[in-house]
Formats: sequence, C-alpha cells, structure tokens
Amino acid sequence: MALLKAAPAPPVRTLAIRGRSDVVSAGSLARRMALEAGFGHRRAREVAIVVCELASNLVRHAGGGTLHLEAATDGPRPSISVSARDAGPPIVDLAMAVVDHCDCGGPIDPALLLRRGGLGTGLGAVLRLADLFEYHATLEGKDIRALLLG
Amino acid sequence: MNEGETIEIPYRRIQRVIEALSYASVDEFEPSLELLRSFDDEDAFSELETAFTVFVEELGEAKRALKEALERHEVTNRELEGKLQTIELQQAAIRDLSTPIIEVWSGVLCLPVVGIVDSQRSAEMTETLLETIVAKQSRLAIVDITGIDVMDTKTADHFIKMAKAVRLLGADCIISGINPAIAQTLTHIGVDLTGVRTLRSLRDALQLYLREADQLGMNARTAV
Repeated sequence: MALLKAAPAPPVRTLAIRGRSDVVSAGSLARRMALEAGFGHRRAREVAIVVCELASNLVRHAGGGTLHLEAATDGPRPSISVSARDAGPPIVDLAMAVVDHCDCGGPIDPALLLRRGGLGTGLGAVLRLADLFEYHATLEGKDIRALLLG
Repeated sequence: MNEGETIEIPYRRIQRVIEALSYASVDEFEPSLELLRSFDDEDAFSELETAFTVFVEELGEAKRALKEALERHEVTNRELEGKLQTIELQQAAIRDLSTPIIEVWSGVLCLPVVGIVDSQRSAEMTETLLETIVAKQSRLAIVDITGIDVMDTKTADHFIKMAKAVRLLGADCIISGINPAIAQTLTHIGVDLTGVRTLRSLRDALQLYLREADQLGMNARTAV
C-alpha cells in the first residue's frame, strides 16, 4: 500500500472551489499543510476551520472561486496564508458582515438562520482565528486573505 | 584484398574514429556521426568506418526511443500520482462531510461528529437533527463530539443552542465527549450551560439513558 500513501503536500496550492466537497477537501489539505509546516494539532485544525469558512463563502455567495494556500517555514514561526478569490459581488458593508449573526444587510432573523444554510459567523470566525485579515476589492471581484501563524 | 595483407592507415584517421566513438559514448550522436561521415577515402579501413557509422546511428536511434519511453512513463506516473491524491482528498472529504444520525434505540438518536466543524456544517447538523427528532418522535439525542478538538467560539456556542432547541422540541439532549480545549472555549465565552447535560463519553450517555429508562419503568432493552 506504499503507493497509496499521499505524496507530501507541497507548500503552495491553488484549488478551485465549486461545491461542498471542495470545501471539505480544502480544509483537510490545509490542515495537512499546516501540520507539515510545523503547526501544532490545535492550530492546524484552526487553519482548517478558517479555510472551510472562506471556502464555504466562495460557494455560498459567489457560486465558487479559487483558494490559494501558501505555507512558509522561513520565519521565526511557521505560517499559512489563505487567499479566497471570487468574481462575485463585493461585500457592501464589511464592518457589518464580520459581526456575528449578521450579513451585509444587518442582523439575520434567527428564524431564518437554519434555512439560510449558515450561521452568519463565518467571517467572524476567520477574524477570531487568523492573525491577519485583509479584504481587497479587485477588478474581477474580491480577494479575502487571512494569515495564520503556527 | 587478401586476408594476410597489411595496410597502412594514417594515425589521424584512427584518431578520428576514436574521437567519434568517444562522442557517441557520452550520447553526443550528431557530432559523432558528422566526424564519421567526413571520411571520403575508399579502402579497407573505410569499411570499418562505415560499420561504425551504422552502429552509432542505430545506437542513437535506440537511445532516443528509450528516452521517449521514459518520458512517457514519467508523465503517466505523474498523472497516476495526481489521481491517487485526488482519491485520498475525496476519501477525506466523504469522511468529514458525513454526519450520520443513527437511531441507536427506538427514540434515541446519536449524532457522532467528526472532522472539521465550521459554521455552515454546524447549521446543517442542527437542521438535520431537529428535523429527525420531530420525524422519529425521539426522546433523546446524544451528540458525541469526541472527534472534535477545535471549534470556533460561535460554533461551540451554537452547539449548546442546538442542545437547548432539542429540549424545546420535548426531547432530551446529551452532549458527550467534550474535550478540554472545547470545555475551555465554552467557559471562556461564558455560555449558559443550564439545561444542557454533558457526559464524558458516548458509553456514559447510553448507560445513563438505560438507567433512567429503567427507573421510569420503560423497558428500553426490549424497545429496540
């Protein structure tokens, strides 16, 4: 079964995110990359959560996009940078969108919370778990970047 | 020309052959052939030179074919490796995606949670669990999170809210397998845990249910 053992994940990966299963694979891959870069188990899982949240948003709000993962081990601490790019509409009110249980339009009605397929806490989670959070409106759409240190 | 005859060859011709062969020995077939073809003498030694020319041509051809085959093999290998990696990723995806709700006893649901829990998955789980409780008229839901060691604070908070929503539906909810990190997360954000039962393991949760069912006079063991 030696052949089936996965080759070590390279420190740079660009993934196309189209559906729910891509989100989960991206999360697993990010966790593996983090572990290989020297992250602890807990922090590696946090990386996976950040990646899942950003990838989920790509699918939910932009109908898909690309996720760029990059591990760096040359600094004093290992790091993973995540960049989620899509061609969807920009976030109208970023300050509101990162507040828990809110989207761009303000607080989400709790009765609709489950049916909308998310809690409205995704960006909040990214903000809490990442060491750096950047939002860029681009010519094509948007690019949300997060950097996590190990 | 007779067999016993001796011929004289100028040393530069022999040197050229040696040079051509040494080119061939380091895979430089073009310069080697150029040298061999530059001979224009017509004697016994030129037959040998022609033989060497054919030999080097064929050797070059064989080496080229071998190199091509190796390259094709390499490409196939890379493709295969890529496919294996995809399979592995998909296997991991399936494992992480599936959130089975198992009816371990009649009226008792068990929701083992493994993998990565983000806000979307936690919303999906809540929806499925609440719907299943109503559909199966369950009395108890056991949410086992032994497989989870990290959650975002809001997602953890949501899990507790899910347990409370289960109670509102008239069923009990036990959360089992909370690990130290998540316990810290929950207390850190000051979640109100009243009305939420937590137990060390899935086994403890099932034993508790059996004990309580016995006390209430329900024969849980035969209710399967």
